[in-house]
Amino acid sequence: MNAAAALFSHYRRHPLQLVALALMILISTMLWSGMNHLTDQARSSLGRAEQSLSEGSQVIREDGAPVTVADFARLRRAGLCVMPWLEVPDPDGVGRLIGIDPLAAACFASGAMSGEQPALDGEPFIDMARAARLAGSPGDEAPPLVLLAADSVSADGLPTGYALASFARGPDTGELGASFLLNLDALGVLVLLITALLLRAVYQLSIVQRRDSFALLHRFGVPGKRINGLLMIEVLVLAGVCVLPGVWAGAQLARALGEGFGRSLEGLFDVTLYADGSQWWRSILVMMIVVLIACLPVRTLPHWLKRSRGVGWLGLGLLAIGMVWVAWSPGLVWTFVAVGLVFVGAGVLVPRLMAGIMATLSSRVDDPLGRWRYRELGVMARQLALPVVALQFTLALVLAVQTLVTTFEATFEQWLDQRLAAHWYVQVPEGRSGDRAADWLAQKLEPGTAAWHRIRRGTVMVDSGAGPSHRVDLLAVSPIGPLMEKWTLQSSLAHPWKLLADNQGVLINEQLALRYGVGVGDSLVLTLNGRVQSRTVLGVYADYGRPSGEVLVNGADLPADFQPEFESFSISPGGRGEAWLVSGFERIWQVPEIEIRENSDIRAMATRVFRQTFVLTRAMTFLTLTLAGTALLIMGWVFITSRAWYLQLLVTWGLSRREAFGELVRVSLGLTTTVSLLALPLGVWLTWVLVHRINPQAFGWSLPMAVYPGFWLELLALSTVIGLGIAALMGRQLRPGRMVALPANQSGGGER
Amino acid sequence: MTPPVLETKGLSKSFVSGTERVDVFSGLDISLAPGQSLSLVGRSGSGKSTLLNIVCGLESADCGTVSILGQRFDTGDAESPRARERRWASLRRQRIGVVFQDANLMPALSLADNVRLRARLAGRSTTDSQDWLQRLGIGELANRYPDQVSGGQRQRAAMAMVFAMQPDLILADEPTGSLDRHTADEVADTLFALQADAGVTLVLATHDTELAGRCESILDMAHRNDPGPGG
Ligand SMILES: Nc1ncnc2c1ncn2[C@@H]1O[C@H](COP(=O)(O)OP(=O)(O)OP(=O)(O)O)[C@@H](O)[C@H]1O
Ligand SMILES: [Mg+2]
Repeated sequence: MNAAAALFSHYRRHPLQLVALALMILISTMLWSGMNHLTDQARSSLGRAEQSLSEGSQVIREDGAPVTVADFARLRRAGLCVMPWLEVPDPDGVGRLIGIDPLAAACFASGAMSGEQPALDGEPFIDMARAARLAGSPGDEAPPLVLLAADSVSADGLPTGYALASFARGPDTGELGASFLLNLDALGVLVLLITALLLRAVYQLSIVQRRDSFALLHRFGVPGKRINGLLMIEVLVLAGVCVLPGVWAGAQLARALGEGFGRSLEGLFDVTLYADGSQWWRSILVMMIVVLIACLPVRTLPHWLKRSRGVGWLGLGLLAIGMVWVAWSPGLVWTFVAVGLVFVGAGVLVPRLMAGIMATLSSRVDDPLGRWRYRELGVMARQLALPVVALQFTLALVLAVQTLVTTFEATFEQWLDQRLAAHWYVQVPEGRSGDRAADWLAQKLEPGTAAWHRIRRGTVMVDSGAGPSHRVDLLAVSPIGPLMEKWTLQSSLAHPWKLLADNQGVLINEQLALRYGVGVGDSLVLTLNGRVQSRTVLGVYADYGRPSGEVLVNGADLPADFQPEFESFSISPGGRGEAWLVSGFERIWQVPEIEIRENSDIRAMATRVFRQTFVLTRAMTFLTLTLAGTALLIMGWVFITSRAWYLQLLVTWGLSRREAFGELVRVSLGLTTTVSLLALPLGVWLTWVLVHRINPQAFGWSLPMAVYPGFWLELLALSTVIGLGIAALMGRQLRPGRMVALPANQSGGGER
Repeated sequence: MTPPVLETKGLSKSFVSGTERVDVFSGLDISLAPGQSLSLVGRSGSGKSTLLNIVCGLESADCGTVSILGQRFDTGDAESPRARERRWASLRRQRIGVVFQDANLMPALSLADNVRLRARLAGRSTTDSQDWLQRLGIGELANRYPDQVSGGQRQRAAMAMVFAMQPDLILADEPTGSLDRHTADEVADTLFALQADAGVTLVLATHDTELAGRCESILDMAHRNDPGPGG
């Protein structure tokens, strides 16, 4: 028998270990490459949405009013190279069409906009005239006209009343999109880290078990280098065989999750997920490297890492620094670094902490059997440190994500309830004004039993006094009444709604407050249709699921010539019915048919869309949990098998097999329960980080911090299942008539 | 006449591995009076360990009867396996001390805690565990763990555990098998001294003819013609 056969015969005796190792590589590859696949798609989709005109600039009116065709004509007559740009929804499909004027585009001498065939991949351009016709069709809100400026246009050369601004399509997703991708990347890295830990754990086990064979081969004259070489080949072959199907499975996973993920991308950024082929070879390469690193022998670390007290302090230090850092971190990347520190610290600390707890407990109890249990648990905590830490991380992650999602759902639903407080919702038809309808409603509806308000949307230039002014969304509501007063505000002056009704100021959304550092009591300079006004911020309201900043003003405060881009009414008509409303509006607006919608339908739809938002994160964490649980199961089983003799010893000392099995159950349950108990604080902390740090930094809005003890119980139940699983697998060793062989390498007194 | 502590009648055991059937022994009759000592010898594979495991209930015989410390176990009885198992467990817990060649101690417990655990399981006082370690000459090692002492010291601790439970019968399977001559003699001296002192019955499996010769009777498992105890 040659050396290779001798080494690999190990797996013939332990086929399950080989299967476990292979599955581990396969599943981790699947998880990570699936995740990576989706991130790649999101990256290129977000990229496409921005890339088009990242360098572009546009001409805007200084008075904040939207530009019109008249402005275009005026600028062209002044000899400036500007081009109209109108984005309209594609009537045949789900995408968008972009109307441009090829003649005007001719002066864009170079770059993407030259000639009649603008070279923007995948962007369907149509003639401006057609776009204008499409824009005129009823339905969606009227898209604003944009005047793109060529590079030759400088701010100084503009006629008075105009200014240059950068042009990005849609809300400025730039930074937020990058944060979103960073979030995905971070989750991917975490998954990779956890799987690498598990991989290493399982592989190390096979190495430890073969140590005697290595020594023997060495004594027979096989050089150590050759043994290592053989092991390396073993790892490479294993990785090669498992990574490929893993990447394939990852692509399948990505496809399965793609729909929900695509919706979340649209919900968050208004960006369509394009199904790109991602670079599968990169996934293969990365996974091969990860497998190699995870399985690489580390000679220098183990000893001082295992015993030294200093390392425990180091872990504690990292943990503390990370926690403080998170609270102060200026940006998302730093937040992730800090979270990384906390995880590393926790990973170093937890096995030690568990061993310490067990040592303390064992010295406290008087019952020798109880003492044995605790000591045995301490040994497990040290021997199974890697899978224990991996399981702890995963449990914490699951807890945090689960809490985040549930909090989000609860908050979002509550928020929707507030936003959709009225029973009916009706959109003012294109080309009509809401003035007369508002008068009619004011006349007919009694304030006591009915409630209604009119909403007008547009944009407004906001100057917070620090930095340049920004164009943000405008939400004008009138009258300010009972439909609004249920809104929960994140912070406000006393009686904000009364002040708003009295026109004493404005409210802003959280995104605006965060982005421009504006708070309650600050004053904002609003420029609307040329009118410049200073207004106090009365309060900040939550505004979920979109990145834009928004100012809420009293509709009565709008200039008379304000042209809303979109107008609607929300009505709870008291005793009156739908028919009354419909006929009333049809009469006022002189349209044959008016559609009024029930807010509960809108609410149901919105809830459905947002439920999809976290499908990916949820799925990833649960798959990782399955992996970690399985790994601990396998490791625990193998570990306890190596200690089966000592259970047998208990039987020899007069415990019945049943009682010995009871002891086994206690020990394995003790292990998994302690792990999940220690995972709880980490999970709660991680929830706080997600809700209060990462979410605002990534998406611009925060969520309230909620604690769900129900999830804690779920995790405990889960760890109980894993513990019972280990015990059940081990129970076989205690079957009557089956003497366990004396452990070959434990004649030195056994591991403790 | 006092009844024997251990008596077997027509005890047979065979193992089937694959298609092969190995008859370890058949028709084995032993009788052992209280306080007596018996050594089992015979080449490797002759069934010494198997016999010891059967007479403490860790393995079961194919047929035959084991009467031990007033309890009777017959393979022909219609007793439920669980009830039988309970009777055996209770005997091992309080009355039969077992010593193996090695790994008699829980590695996670100190020597003293090991002795305490064994005494507690047997329902004995745990306060004199230190005394037992002292009597076996390893009192100062009480707080060490099994991997921190030598093999001979571990076997002494194993003896301390067995004596701390104050058994009626000690079954020792090559208790000195992994020790050097000198240490083996020392450990054996202590074992026989305490055995005589406490009046315990002893069955000892060994390859060591010198050790075997210290017992009152010898049973050669390989060439069995005189199963009964001598003189
Ligand atoms: N679980 C088992 N399955 C199959 N055969 C077994 C089993 N246990 C023991 N045997 C066989 O039974 C016979 C007796 O084994 P036993 O261990 O009792 O011998 P022994 O006299 O104690 O030997 P040694 O002096 O080497 O300890 C051997 O041939 C052995 O191969
Ligand atoms: Mg033997």
